[in-house]
Amino acid sequence: MCRVRDFLGKRFHPNAYKHLMPSDGYAPLNSDFDSFFTRRLKRRMEECFAQPVTGVAGRTILILDRYTPDYNQTQITLGTLTRALNVSSYNYLGFAQARGGCADAVEEGIKLYGVTTCGSRLEGGSSDLHTVTENLVAKFLGTEDSLVSSMGFATNSTFIPALVSKGCLVISDELNHASIRFGVRQSGASVRMFRHNNVKSLETLLREVISQGQPKTHRPWKKILLIVEGLFSMEGTMIDLPAIMVLKEKYKFYLFIDEAHSIGGIGQHGRGVADYYGVDPQKIDVLMGTFTKSFGAAGGYLAGKKSIIDRLRVYSYSGPYAEAMPPPVLTQIIASMASIMGVTESIPFSHLTASSFSGDHHPGPISQRYIPAWLPLPPELSSGVEGRERLRRLSFNSYYLHRGLDKLGFITYGHPSSPIVPMLIFSPGKMMMFHRMMKDRETPIVTVVVDYPATPLQTSRVRFCVSASHTKEDIDTILRACDELGDILDLKHGLKKRERWTMDEVSRRAVELVNMPDEERQ
Amino acid sequence: MASASSTLDSVVLTFAQTLSSIERGFYRLPGSGIIERYIRSSHQNDPGRTFLEIIILFLVVGTLLQSRTRADRNNGKNFIEFTDKEIDELVDDWVPEPLSKPLSEIEAAELAAVPVVAGPNGPHPILVNTGKPAVNLASFNFTGLASNEHIKQRAIESMRNHGVGSCGPTGFYGTFDVHVKLERDIAEFLGTEGSILCSQGFSTISSVIPAFCKRGDIIVADRGVTLSIQKGMEISRSTIRWYDHNDLKSLEEVLQSVEKERRKRRLPLTRRFIITEGIFERDGTMTDLPKLIELKYKYKYRLILDESFSFGTVGRTGRGLTELYNVHATKIDMLVGSCSIGLSAAGGFCAGTHTVVEHQRINGPAYVFSASMPPLLAVSASEAINVLLDNPSLLSKLQENIRAAHSLLHPSSAVVSKPSNPASPLPRDAPVFDIAKEERLLQEVVEEAMTQGVMITKAKRVRGLELTEARPSLRLAMSSALSKADTEKAINVLIKILKRKLK
Ligand SMILES: Cc1ncc(COP(=O)(O)O)c(C=O)c1O
Repeated sequence: MCRVRDFLGKRFHPNAYKHLMPSDGYAPLNSDFDSFFTRRLKRRMEECFAQPVTGVAGRTILILDRYTPDYNQTQITLGTLTRALNVSSYNYLGFAQARGGCADAVEEGIKLYGVTTCGSRLEGGSSDLHTVTENLVAKFLGTEDSLVSSMGFATNSTFIPALVSKGCLVISDELNHASIRFGVRQSGASVRMFRHNNVKSLETLLREVISQGQPKTHRPWKKILLIVEGLFSMEGTMIDLPAIMVLKEKYKFYLFIDEAHSIGGIGQHGRGVADYYGVDPQKIDVLMGTFTKSFGAAGGYLAGKKSIIDRLRVYSYSGPYAEAMPPPVLTQIIASMASIMGVTESIPFSHLTASSFSGDHHPGPISQRYIPAWLPLPPELSSGVEGRERLRRLSFNSYYLHRGLDKLGFITYGHPSSPIVPMLIFSPGKMMMFHRMMKDRETPIVTVVVDYPATPLQTSRVRFCVSASHTKEDIDTILRACDELGDILDLKHGLKKRERWTMDEVSRRAVELVNMPDEERQ
Repeated sequence: MASASSTLDSVVLTFAQTLSSIERGFYRLPGSGIIERYIRSSHQNDPGRTFLEIIILFLVVGTLLQSRTRADRNNGKNFIEFTDKEIDELVDDWVPEPLSKPLSEIEAAELAAVPVVAGPNGPHPILVNTGKPAVNLASFNFTGLASNEHIKQRAIESMRNHGVGSCGPTGFYGTFDVHVKLERDIAEFLGTEGSILCSQGFSTISSVIPAFCKRGDIIVADRGVTLSIQKGMEISRSTIRWYDHNDLKSLEEVLQSVEKERRKRRLPLTRRFIITEGIFERDGTMTDLPKLIELKYKYKYRLILDESFSFGTVGRTGRGLTELYNVHATKIDMLVGSCSIGLSAAGGFCAGTHTVVEHQRINGPAYVFSASMPPLLAVSASEAINVLLDNPSLLSKLQENIRAAHSLLHPSSAVVSKPSNPASPLPRDAPVFDIAKEERLLQEVVEEAMTQGVMITKAKRVRGLELTEARPSLRLAMSSALSKADTEKAINVLIKILKRKLK
């Protein structure tokens, strides 16, 4: 039908369709088929996306009010601001802050280092601050070495080609992030995909590819690299790391985990999925993650054995060509990461073993040596007290929102400990209504709604990202809003009516909900 | 959950076929209310419309049911059946190569010799490698913005307003007011309808190209383009035709032959692009923009111009080649530049018409799937544009240093770039080149210079991963933050070393 509309439109409104038609010997810039969904579907939902904001992407955020006079062709900002409760930003640990210890450190960092290191890592843009950060990140993750890169997307897209090449096979989860696919495509390696987070499907595939070898020649693969995400950003699902480690032992593939969303927020010490499952991080070949999310900074890291990381430093596209990570970002990473780990002057051995950090792979407070001398960390940060508090809050909020929504009767996806809580809405039309009604409430709430092409068409969803900066009252507010809208828009399809809890019951029994054991979900 | 939604799918399918028989069962299913209401609302007393929607539904469901994980490659006659036991044996026998070879001794030594700056970078940084200050001819600080106190101040203010990270991709609350402002500032500075940011300079053009160029499109590109362009073209899967480096005659020949071929084989009209750089990253040569634009119009191509090294460095106020040649920026379809190189902040941009910009907001991979750049860096970039506009002397000083360096270097070696270029690579003047040997020689020069207090660098490459190998070279980056005397002194030190080493 839309094709018909295009067809007619091109004839009757040539001006509006200029970019889709050949004109003056130029082929159209975007073919009408390519942009079909975006023009027809997304245009209608323009208001759900790219909402300009200001202030800090913290517990609340300021949105720039806007309206459209012409069915979303243009959006005009009104110059007024609305403060809204923010369950959308990837601010898991609440480090998006303009005040406090980390912000003070960053200010000091800018005064000292400016905002740029003037170039790429290999060509005169390396700073001692990079070295400090990389040592700290390796310490944080429990790996031999690490490197940082100025953009999370580029951490995948420009470093993966240095790991695999023609004759190698990459096995990729079907829902892996675009940056991973971008990198793999550039590498020239073959790619095979397995069903999302399905270890059986992975094993079947492994048996097939190892026995068949390379296509046509049947020569054995040079190497096989499995790339998965620790926590999937649209689904909130967590990988089954122990099962994958068993397969890894048997099938001898290498493992690359993108922990963009899991680092910082997941695991008892915030060290990601390896921490959550108690797996030795040194057994994982490459750990990748981003600082955009939990650390309130930007960019990404890769960590693993020193020999691998050194090779990546030299043979990635980023090393010689991409700008190095800027000093304010480095300072933010150092300050936030150190405050999760805790810093002490000297650590007596007995204290170390007796401390709450009992996981062998992530020994507790780090020595002052890992932090630049000029960097001021107030006691509440350096003691690690605040870091632990953040982790606890995040974990509470994640479980509470997840299980609260379940009990209210909604269908949610993902692991209950995941700070990403996707809730199904199914229809794109309702999705837009939901977004609008949440925003127009007395306490405005901004939400992220996603549909095709980020998710399959029939499972449009809202994706909440909880944060350590949310209070229980905030989560209550969100749950209450969902409860009311769920009735109006008929979104509760998870539980039968009589099995549902009321909002008051959910709020009252919050602690009980959170303490329920993790059940197996698919 | 997956099973629930797929039953829903099949229900929807059969619903369209045998409406009445399934109706009761349908209403008992969870989610039926949504579908019912959807159909009601779309029906709107118009049976034709419902009919069309049903057809569309079929198409959509068909697409969705196509499994993404299908074994498409090894199926068919190439597939060999094995028993489980055989597979186990094959698995046991398979010995993979190591994930990565350790670096060779030379590579490791070179990595260890990479200059690391202690404290802030600038014209006279202290090097960790030597523990001493050096004159900086390596870092990109062309107009000296890196140590601008005003910019630092504005960055701190922004941090106190916005924090550091934006914590979200542009589509989902990652677009801050300051990003919008920077996009507008760049567009106004250049004189285009709009511009779009990307959070890393290198990734900008690798993302711009695949947003527009698709399979079947034709790209005519300079043989000497930098890696980010090569990678963007590779991933676009378009047909690539090369012309000789910075040779517009050769370009015209290629354009003619493409057109001839199209006529001969009666191919349909596809999108055609010329992709090149303003100032080439590889050798500092500059494109003859007016001529290029003439060709583009004559043969009806779109022009993607990478101004990463010319934006913020040439022209009276640093607008780049368009200002230098007095060409209107709207004549370039996609003008790509870097805020990290030219504006000493971070990220990159693509400027062009509204259509070009808006298209990328949905189709530029690095724009859509990545967090926006930290707001404080966007503010720094905006502020840098103001500084450039208010201080044309920064650019004239830069040119003065460049001329001084050229006049010293010219008699002693082969300098490829023209005097107005800030990045001046110095390839050696030899008929054939042995990459490994030249790299080693130049590395010795670099290390020797460092011990004598001059920080320079080789132009680093990812050997083996680039489409065309570049000749080993040194790259000097001039800066207006250095005095002419310091520049000359450093160049003289370098010339002495060059003379000794490259006899
Ligand atoms: C799994 C994954 N990898 C990489 C990235 C890219 O990170 P960044 O936003 O820092 O560029 C993202 C961000 O959305 C992600 O979800």
